[in-house]
Amino acid sequence: MMVRVSGALLRFTDYRRIINVPAATVEAGLTELAEQYQPLRAVLFDRAGRVRATHKIFLNGEQLQRDELTRAADDTDSLDLLLAISGG
Amino acid sequence: MPRWSTYQVPIDTGLFTPLGLQPTAIFRLAFNAAGGWLGRYAISHRRLVSEHRTGFVVWSAQFIAGKPPSFLEGDCLEVRVVGRVRGDGTQFECEGEVSGASGGTTRMQACCVPLRLDGDPALSGVPARLSAEVMAAFLPDEIEARPYRSPVPGMQAAVAIEGTLLASGQMPFTIHRHQCEIADQWFWPEAASLASGAREELVRSESDGDPRLRLGLATPVHRLDLVFNRPFFLFDEGAVRSSAYDWQGRVVFIHELIGTTDDEARAIAIEQFTPGDPLPGPLYKGERGRRSWH
Repeated sequence: MMVRVSGALLRFTDYRRIINVPAATVEAGLTELAEQYQPLRAVLFDRAGRVRATHKIFLNGEQLQRDELTRAADDTDSLDLLLAISGG
Repeated sequence: MPRWSTYQVPIDTGLFTPLGLQPTAIFRLAFNAAGGWLGRYAISHRRLVSEHRTGFVVWSAQFIAGKPPSFLEGDCLEVRVVGRVRGDGTQFECEGEVSGASGGTTRMQACCVPLRLDGDPALSGVPARLSAEVMAAFLPDEIEARPYRSPVPGMQAAVAIEGTLLASGQMPFTIHRHQCEIADQWFWPEAASLASGAREELVRSESDGDPRLRLGLATPVHRLDLVFNRPFFLFDEGAVRSSAYDWQGRVVFIHELIGTTDDEARAIAIEQFTPGDPLPGPLYKGERGRRSWH
């Protein structure tokens, strides 16, 4: 799965914008991404291990809800990860 | 009585254009003044973020300029500001003035939406009402139930319907870090910078066809209204889509700041220029202020 990272999240992926992760589901892809880029873990997941509600996640352009992250994915899929708003 | 904060800001040449205060500088002063007011009378922005998990995102801002101060008329600007909570804790508004030594005053206003921060290093958050603990820091006179409403949507519609279109154009941009705040999200006064740049490009390219456009270069912005729908972030690409109108005897520029990926207006800026608006005083004694927009 190809993950596109942008904006305020870039500093947590060492400014890499496109990252390929092997995963069978969207959720597994995000977990693998956080495994590769440890600083991203606390940004992406809350203490209970759930993806934070402050992120918008699009699979092939379709926005996913929190209960749709188990959606199957493979190498041909692309995932866009967006932070909706920051309070700095 | 609402509590006002009044203080002096030493001036430097970077705050000014030849026509008066930089629009972006006015908004930066406003944001700084709001933060200062919060810290003095309520809870500092730093403590709001670190202890109360509360951030602010600016949703609406405006200024209306009087006679513009010039660099040489004094060593300081005077800033006055007052803060209040509106809409049952769903907005924080500050109003204020920036005055030069000769008495010219620019009135400014900004309205923020509180965010409940999620506690992560990216400072991500969702809009939320201010907590009772934070609300307790405000005096009863500083809490207004009625929410603030931006004049931008109505003004944009009125100008487009009643005005005469003079010119339109588009200027692309990319957000870089020097345009961002602490969270790699654009610092909102950049909207005024981008709008100004787009206006100047429009005037440069189109004013031979319509000299009225030159008012947008030769006179200071009389009034600037901003409204924000969602932010730009580091390296986001976008464009300023600008249209200039003759409306009620003024020249008005409407700028939509759109994201390249979604083509949606993430912010709208409306600049108004009025013929005959005063220019700053002479730079040197004996020099007469000149007008040359015709």
